[in-house]
Parts: sequence; structure tokens; C-alpha cells
Amino acid sequence: MLSAAVSHSGIGVRPGGVRRRYRFFFSRFGGPMSLHDDDHDAGRSAVDEGINVSRRMFLKSVGVTGVAAGVLGAEAEPHAAGPAAVGPGPVPVTLRVNGKTETLQVEPRVTLLDALRDRLNHTGLKRVCDRGSCGACTAIVDGRTIYSCSTLAIELQGKDVRTIEGLTEGTVLHPVQQAFVKHDGTMCGFCTPGFVMSAAALLERYPKPTVEQAREALDGNICRCGTYTKVLQAVLDTGKGVSRG
Amino acid sequence: MAEQVPEVNTPARPAQHEKYPWPAPADATVLGKPLTRVDGPLKVSGRAIYAYDVQRPGLLHGRILRSPHPHARVVSVDIAAAQKAPGVKAALVVIQPGKPAMYQGDEIAAVAAETEEQAEDAVRLIKVEYEVLPHVALEDLAMRDGAPSVFEGGNIKSGEAQETGDLAAGFKAAAHTVEASYSTQVQTHVCLETHGCVCEWDGDKLTAWVSTQAVHGTREGFAEALQIPQTNVRVICEYMGGGFGSKFGPDSQGVVCARLSKQAAAPVKLMLDRKEEHLVSGNRPSSASKIKAGVAADGTLTAFDAETWGTGGAGVGASFPLPYIYVFPNRRRQHRDVYTNAGPARAFRAPGHPQGCFHTEMLMDELADRVRMDPVEFRIKNLPDEAPNRMWRKYFPIAAEKFGWSRRHPTGDPSSGPIKRGMGCAANQWGGGGRGTKAHVEVLPDGGVLVRCGTQDIGTGTRTIVAMVAAETLGLSYDAIKVEVGDSQFPFSGGSGGSTTAAAVTPAIRVTAGKALDALKERIAPKLGVPPAQLVARNGRIEVKDQASKGYAWKDACRLLGTEPVTVDAEWENGLSASGTSGVQFAEVEVDVETGVAKVSRIVCVQDCGLILDPMTAESQVYGGIVMGVNYALYEERILDRNTGQMVNPNMEWYHIAGMSDVPKIEVTLMNQPERGVIGLGEPPTISTAAAVANAVANAIGVRVRHLPLTPDRILNALAAQERAGGTL
Repeated sequence: MLSAAVSHSGIGVRPGGVRRRYRFFFSRFGGPMSLHDDDHDAGRSAVDEGINVSRRMFLKSVGVTGVAAGVLGAEAEPHAAGPAAVGPGPVPVTLRVNGKTETLQVEPRVTLLDALRDRLNHTGLKRVCDRGSCGACTAIVDGRTIYSCSTLAIELQGKDVRTIEGLTEGTVLHPVQQAFVKHDGTMCGFCTPGFVMSAAALLERYPKPTVEQAREALDGNICRCGTYTKVLQAVLDTGKGVSRG
Repeated sequence: MAEQVPEVNTPARPAQHEKYPWPAPADATVLGKPLTRVDGPLKVSGRAIYAYDVQRPGLLHGRILRSPHPHARVVSVDIAAAQKAPGVKAALVVIQPGKPAMYQGDEIAAVAAETEEQAEDAVRLIKVEYEVLPHVALEDLAMRDGAPSVFEGGNIKSGEAQETGDLAAGFKAAAHTVEASYSTQVQTHVCLETHGCVCEWDGDKLTAWVSTQAVHGTREGFAEALQIPQTNVRVICEYMGGGFGSKFGPDSQGVVCARLSKQAAAPVKLMLDRKEEHLVSGNRPSSASKIKAGVAADGTLTAFDAETWGTGGAGVGASFPLPYIYVFPNRRRQHRDVYTNAGPARAFRAPGHPQGCFHTEMLMDELADRVRMDPVEFRIKNLPDEAPNRMWRKYFPIAAEKFGWSRRHPTGDPSSGPIKRGMGCAANQWGGGGRGTKAHVEVLPDGGVLVRCGTQDIGTGTRTIVAMVAAETLGLSYDAIKVEVGDSQFPFSGGSGGSTTAAAVTPAIRVTAGKALDALKERIAPKLGVPPAQLVARNGRIEVKDQASKGYAWKDACRLLGTEPVTVDAEWENGLSASGTSGVQFAEVEVDVETGVAKVSRIVCVQDCGLILDPMTAESQVYGGIVMGVNYALYEERILDRNTGQMVNPNMEWYHIAGMSDVPKIEVTLMNQPERGVIGLGEPPTISTAAAVANAVANAIGVRVRHLPLTPDRILNALAAQERAGGTL
């Protein structure tokens, strides 16, 4: 199950709602919602497919199980050479962020989020829960949403990382960003970039998402101000075709 | 926070400013139109800069070491090893050795280092010797005889009993009585942007970028704590990621940040992490009650006798209004604050009201059941007389109609299958109102308009309504106005709490912009050869009142100013705002009686807030308040381990907050009261949601769960208890 999850997506999870809330409960106690079942639920959006493993759990597993580490090595080409130890001091890490190649010196323990925010001054994505529960740090890696707070920067070498900063073309907002403004899908705005990234990833996969697909895709994001209703309107409205401009 | 702000306008008095009254809704060109927020594009593109995002050259990262014990005397703190750790530029002891740490998370010491990782490593090197003391984390433990004392003088502080009327006579007149106990949980604010700031010194002058609801209050807090003049402190808060009542000053971490920055002679960023945020940055206190209440055979309330208590943690009270709204002619209430070794409470969106509303509205449904009356009819019978700030008699029927209340079944969904549906309702009231704001308006020769005000936009849309009010006043569109807020160097405005910001700020903008226009007219009128009083500003023009062709486009008019702009400083005046709001909410729920999982499917809300400035952002406030109420009803709970006093869910994985799939269909009806002026809306909509949901759950499953949140275990336990008793409600 874990290896399937990894080979799909690297690291990521977008479960949510009641399903998210009681996921561990049910899976631990043999109930109807095991992680595995979700992975193969045909009714779920592809954004969700195969990536239903908590990032923390995944990171922990990478550390302790050879199986998972081997899978990761095969996935992450730049250091497929083997388990050569790096760190704990700063090491060079090359990232491709919004199409631009950046080389930094960071410790291997530094997350993508912290590398983006503290080293590259990409502060659009936010650190909120810092453990893969709220989606405020959502980035898109190779077309799939990930929680950048629970993904190590060093693991993403050779991958195509996209952040909220890359979504706007100059001063022209992405259609879904325009829809967020139009529908007031933002209040304090702290969760908004993460929601926008989740929405953008959804729309790239499903240009005209159904309500269910949209809810599911956004279920990995938490908003404290309660913008959900208008966020959903914004995403569905974009699906109806608002042009950039 | 309503308690901090006296009611400044009598609720019933129509707002009527002599010189700059609000335009009648029909005449308004900007106000009352649903307009998108002016800072929307910055927020959706990640370009809005929050305190958390501020970068400065040579910025260090601060980190606080906190007590792992809920109660312990700190014998010694040794920061020597931390000071020598890689990257560390400053370290200090926060707590005085010999003093007790009062709760898990109390501050002990702090460091600042070049990277966050280094700061984290360094705090681990701090050696603290604790003398662990007995603790009490929960109120039931704290109230026991012989419980360890949180403070000298015991854990219970009893308030004076409040008594009105003749209680014995009231119960004598009752045909039925209900005796019940209700309780609500501790809820933490979970601001998505955690508390914290960036501090930077230039000599003896401090600049602090703070995530705050009060730039001026925070300036005062820094000056006081650091013993420096307020003139040497500047607090900036351009954007902030949620406060909900918990962000009114620099707090301990802000002062620590400033001291670390001073010691390191470099800027320091110190933001709490999620666990710290849960532990130390405030919460809504718990509440509990034992109530006996009486009702006459005709459904008239006769008597109410309540003992209540709750904990605000280490040293903060936990009072709440009770009974809420409804008229119990004879009543008594005795409240006790219980101290525990837990993070102290702070104001939380409508402090006290969701608790008081829950206890009272649950009781109301139980009483209505006794006299076999419809809950809405029963409520209307026992409401206070109608007034502009007490409109429930009108709103209940409107909302019931929209909601389809007539479809409500009596207690207990009779349909087969595990999913039971139910309906409930509840009312809310709030103060709002505000005053004491100053503003600065400049009309520049190039036609630009700058509005400065030392308020802050905490996500409610303050920037937007400031722009709208200035635009309305000057006859411009709202995107022609440059609004600057969130800086203590701007004219004074109070903290954004108690739903007071709109009523405190917009009158000041109306008056200041009005005076600026007057000054502009003075300087334009001679060129047109008419008295200034004959000029009006409308449709982007300054023109003669009954001779529209005679005048100038706004820009051309401003060009006539030459090099000297119009600059006006003025302040809030009476006659544009009021206080007192009312609203009602209806909830429909689905409860799975096999799993105990409750889901809110629909909320209908009717709410007023005086003059509605921007229906779009106003509606968002209501949606948000309701979502927070759903969270309070079903999900959120700070869980402390009763033996160790540790919080077991200090994260966002086990401290549950609704996600997209948990949010019900929400239908909002805003009642405009233009004649009352601006009042405020942030808090009222969150008050009555949980009570309406809890009543709906009881209506669905036929058994009353009297304790929030309505988690599956509580619902299943209630159903099991009912089954054991072999009875119904």
C-alpha cells in the first residue's frame, strides 16, 4: 500500500472532511475506510488517488523500512545512486521552482516549505499546522498537490515544483484566482494560497469539476475564517470557463 | 471584547449626523453594493505580506523553551550551552528562578539563531531544573476538596449570586419544571497565522511587525513591557492571519522577541509553532451549569435557578451571560470561576455568548417539550419586547418560513434506517458599536485620494469598507481610493474586537472625507463662480448642484489645487453608528445512530447589523461565523489528560476543524437597518449555531446530548443510556 502511494506521487495526501477526520480511527480498528480502500476508490478524484498516506507517517516509514526507501530511490533519480549519507550539515540542493533552477545550501532536514520561505523568499505558501493536516503549504510537484511542510527539500531535486508565486503571470491572475476574488473566497487570506493551489491542480486535471470532485480536492485544506462556501463557488465558477484576462 | 467597549449609541436612536449623514440606500452609489475586497488580488496571489512573511536583512529566528510540566517551580535555568551553540546570537532566561510555571507551555527561556533549525537545536541545550508541583488540569479535579491549589486562596472564586424577582413564587407558578446539566468545552482560537512578530531595533527605536488585532494597543504593550517611550515604538500589521479575540498585545513572545533582537543587535522573527499556539495563546473557557427552570401550563416562563462554573485556566475567569435573551421573570444565578493548571483563556469571538446561548437554548427546547409547544412559538412567547436591537419576534417567523420549519417532526426522527434527521433553532444578540477613531484624508493634485487610519484589517474587510465610505463621500469609485491601515504611525484607532471596528472606523472616514470634500469645494468654487455649498461630488465629477454641465471631472478639479493638496485630519462623531444586533439561526442535521457521526446539512440565518456597507464581505462574515459555530458544536475540543495535565491534541490533526465536506449549505439573509447607522457583525453569527445544531441533534435522535462537542462517543453514549433506561426524552 505504501509503495503504491509513493510510486504515484512522491509524498502527499488530500483526504478531508468526515472521511479525513475518522480515517485513522476506522483504519486502525478495521472499519470500512482503510487507507487501501480509499486508494482504489473509483469514485474519488484522481487528485486524491493513491496519495492517501499521511506525510508524517510516510517520512517515518522512509526512515525505518527498507522497502519504502528502496521505492523512493527508484523514484528520485538524482540520488538513485544509493543510500550515501548526507548531512547533517548544509548540503547543496538544486530545486526547479516555477521553472527556475535554484541551488541552495540547506540541511537535509529542511522541508520544501522552509526552503521556499526562509531561503528563496517565496512566502506565499504558509506554515500553519506544519505536519500535513491543513494544506496552507500546498505546492504542486509534477502535477500533483503536496504538503510542502512535510516534504524534504532534498527529496524534490529533479522534480518540477510549482508554488503560488508561479500561478500569476505578471500581474494577470490565474482564472481561479480571479474567481476567488470575485466570489470573496478569502477573508484573512492566510489559507488562501493553499486553497488556490489545490484548486488549480484540480482544474488542470478536471477543467469542469463536479461539486463532489471539487469538495474532495479541497478537503485537504483548512480555513479558520470559514470561506468554504465561497471557495467552492469560485472553483465551480472557474470550471464553467472564466478566461484569463 | 464587547465588555471593553461601552455602548456608545443608544440602540434605538436613529443615526442622524447633521452634516455628513449616510446617504439613503436609494441614493447611494457605492455603499450597499456587493463589492469585492480591495486586497483580494494580493491575498489570492500570495503577495500579501503577513508578519510571518516579513524578511529583513540579517534576520534571526527566535524560539522559546517552555515548561513541559503543568505546574512546577523552576529551580535553575542554565543557558550557557545554548549560547555557545552554532548560529546562536542571543539567549535569555524568561522566568525568574524560584517562580512557578503555571501550565504546560509557560515560558522558561529563549534563543535567537541564524536559522530556525539552529534555534530549535539550541533550546534543547538549555538545562532547567524543575521542582514538579501537584497540578490540576480539569475543573472537576480542581473543585474537589483537598485538591492541590493552583493559586494561594484556592481554586474556586465565587461570584455574587444574581437574583431578580421571587424565585419561590416563580416555581410555585410553574406547571412543569426541568432540571438539567449542560456543559461546553474549551475551544482554542487556532489562528492559522500563529501569534508572533518580527522585531528590529534602530538604536533605541523598535519597529515590530506583529500579527495583531490592535496596532496601537500593541505599541502601548511593548512600551510598557520594555520600559521605553511609546514614541520609540512602531507597530505594523499590514495583513494578519486570524485573531478571533486572541491577538491584542505583544504578548510574552513579542516582548521576548524584542529583547532577543536587542541583545543580538539584529532583527528577530519569533512566531509560535502550532503546539505553542494551542497551549498558550488563549482559548474560550469551558462552561457548565446545573439549572432548574419552571414553565406555566400556557408556556410562560416562570423561574430560573442556575449554578454555573467553568475554567479559564490559570487565573482567568469563565463567566458567561445566563439566562440568554429569554425572559425569566424570577431568576437566580450563582457563578464560580475555577482555576486550573492550563493555558489562560482570552477573549474569543463573542466571549461568553455561545456558552450562554447553548445552555439557555437547550433548556428552552426541553421546556417547550414539557408544555408540548412548538419551539419557535414557545420562544416567541417568551422573548423580550421588540426593539431595533431586539428583532427576534420578526426574525424567527422569517427564518422558519425560509427553512421549512413546518416540516419538523416532533422529537425523534420516526423514519427507519440509521440516518436520523432533525431541526433546531436558536437566537443571538450582540453589542457592536464603537468610537474613538481618527483618520487622515489627502486629496492630491493629481486626483489621488489617500486615506490613512490606524485601524487594522483582520480579514473582515476593513480596508474595503474604508475605501467604499471615502468613495461614496467623494463621488468616486472605490478603487480610486488608496487606503492605508495597520500602522501605529497612522491616526489612532482602537483594537478590532467586539465587532466594533466598522462602527468605530467608518464614521471617522465619513466625517474626514466629508471635511476634505468641503475643503476641496472651497478651493474650486471661485473658479466656477458659485458658492462652495452649491457644489456636489458625484460620478467622478465636482459640479454645480442643479447644473451638471457646469463643473470639472475629478482629476481636473484636483489639478486646480496647484501643488498644495487638501489634507484633513478628523475623527469619529456621533450620529453615524449605533449598537445592538439580533439574529436567529435554524439548523438541520443528519445523525448516523450506528456510528454516532453527526453532520450539519443546512443552516438558515437571519441577521442584522445596522447599515450594511458591503453585502459581499458582510455575508462572508456570517458564513464564517456559522462555520466556526459548526466547529464548536461538533468538532473542536482542547483535550487535557486528567493525570498528566498535558494537552493530547495540540495540532490540527486531532484538534478537529471542519473541512470543505463538513460545511453545510448555508443560507444567509441580512436585514438592512440603514436608519440605525453602522453597528458591526463579526461576532453575532457565531453565537447561536452550536445551540441550533445541538437542538437539531436532539430532535433527530430523540435523546438530548447536553455537552459540547457532539462527538460520536457522546452521541452513542446518550443513545445507549436512553436504551438502557428504556425510555425516550
